[in-house]
Amino acid sequence: MRAFVRNYTGNSSLDEQELLFIISLTLMLPHQIEDTEIIQRIVNKDKDALYLLYDKYSGALFGVILRICQNQELAEDVLQETFLKIWEKIESYNPDKGKFYTWSYRIAKNRALNALRKSDRLIQNEDLSVLKDKSETEDNFDLKTLNGALSKLEPHHQEAISLVYFRGYTHREANEEMGVPLGTFKSYVRQAIQLLRESYKIGMVFVLWLMEVIS
Amino acid sequence: MMDKEYILKEGLLEKFLLDDLTSDEAKAVGLAISNDADLKQQFLQLEADFERMALENAIAPPTRVKEKLQKSLETNTDNESIPKTWLWLAAGLALLFALTTFWMYSKWQSAQNTLDTLQNQTVVMQERLDLLEENYELTNNRLQIINSPNTIPFVLTGNEKAKDSRAVAYVNHNNKLVVVNPRGLPVLPQNQTYQMWSDVDGEMINMGLLPTDKDLVTLKYIDHAESLNITIEPAGGNDHPTVEQLISYVTL
Repeated sequence: MRAFVRNYTGNSSLDEQELLFIISLTLMLPHQIEDTEIIQRIVNKDKDALYLLYDKYSGALFGVILRICQNQELAEDVLQETFLKIWEKIESYNPDKGKFYTWSYRIAKNRALNALRKSDRLIQNEDLSVLKDKSETEDNFDLKTLNGALSKLEPHHQEAISLVYFRGYTHREANEEMGVPLGTFKSYVRQAIQLLRESYKIGMVFVLWLMEVIS
Repeated sequence: MMDKEYILKEGLLEKFLLDDLTSDEAKAVGLAISNDADLKQQFLQLEADFERMALENAIAPPTRVKEKLQKSLETNTDNESIPKTWLWLAAGLALLFALTTFWMYSKWQSAQNTLDTLQNQTVVMQERLDLLEENYELTNNRLQIINSPNTIPFVLTGNEKAKDSRAVAYVNHNNKLVVVNPRGLPVLPQNQTYQMWSDVDGEMINMGLLPTDKDLVTLKYIDHAESLNITIEPAGGNDHPTVEQLISYVTL
């Protein structure tokens, strides 16, 4: 595989990192093409295409929304609103500016934060029924527990990523939440991203090794 | 353009991805990414890592969310299809209107034709009515003349020369009027005509011609006439009666 890429690109001086990047992009390509095609169908108002993207990304987005909202019912509404927004605004999505998932993540996060602000206002108005529902989720997920590569990181790295990515905090809010200076917090995030990347790269190297073994 | 080192050092790629930048900053970072291949690669990698992390931490939403989404989209589509229904309805109405207009136009045209015909007929009827009225008036006048108690009818029967001849003269001395019905007189050749004369003291005075194709002929009333006489004269009448051709007379 490495030999193939070196041969194909005509560049034998590619270092290991560049090589891995090219290979990982190549592996991601079919998935990317598939999304582009589905998105085009949504632009043409094909509802089934939207449901395909829903099946693919609703779990990832709901993971974010539920962790921000901390409320099952509210999170479900936000998820539905997010996909309605995707349906309405799909024409404004530009694949050159980023992946579809990133675009939809931003929509989900903003809607969740808005919904949370509205429900907080209700709580301030002493609507206790909303307060009672708070933190209750259907299957009693422990929303603090994280999975995958993230769960293997140091707790402060986990928390830094969790706050900005899964809780919708700004860097400024998050460093106050963690009680560390902004600069420290920024380096936590940077280190965490680096560690995640390495962890995924090891997985990728394993996949490549497996492919070489098979071939 | 924003410095690449600055972007990386300040973690602006992460913040860009997380939508945690002001719109000016986001614009600048977006521009830097599209202009710098390395920065673009780094951003793509970051997106891929975060997406993978999100998938690892996915929580499956209950199926009811998808059902609600589908229901909501179906309803929206229904709403979208309503204008289409309206459009069809409008098109149908327009067609109906066009057909009705055409139908009305042809009806109007045929009504116009009928009206024209009726008007023509009315004119003809009016003319006939005028004629009838005229005839009626004439007939009525004659009837009044004949029926008047002052009118005296005289029957002029033919002599040996014209045995089948018969004419009726109505004389009204009050109105000084003489009307004769010549229908009973035999038809004469074209070069001859009947003429009537009054006898006043032995002198025959012309009263006028008696064309046999008329029902009633009004003649000159002559004062002090003693008798009425009919002779056959050359066509156009004569100044003096041809006594040999006397066919009938009656004494008043």
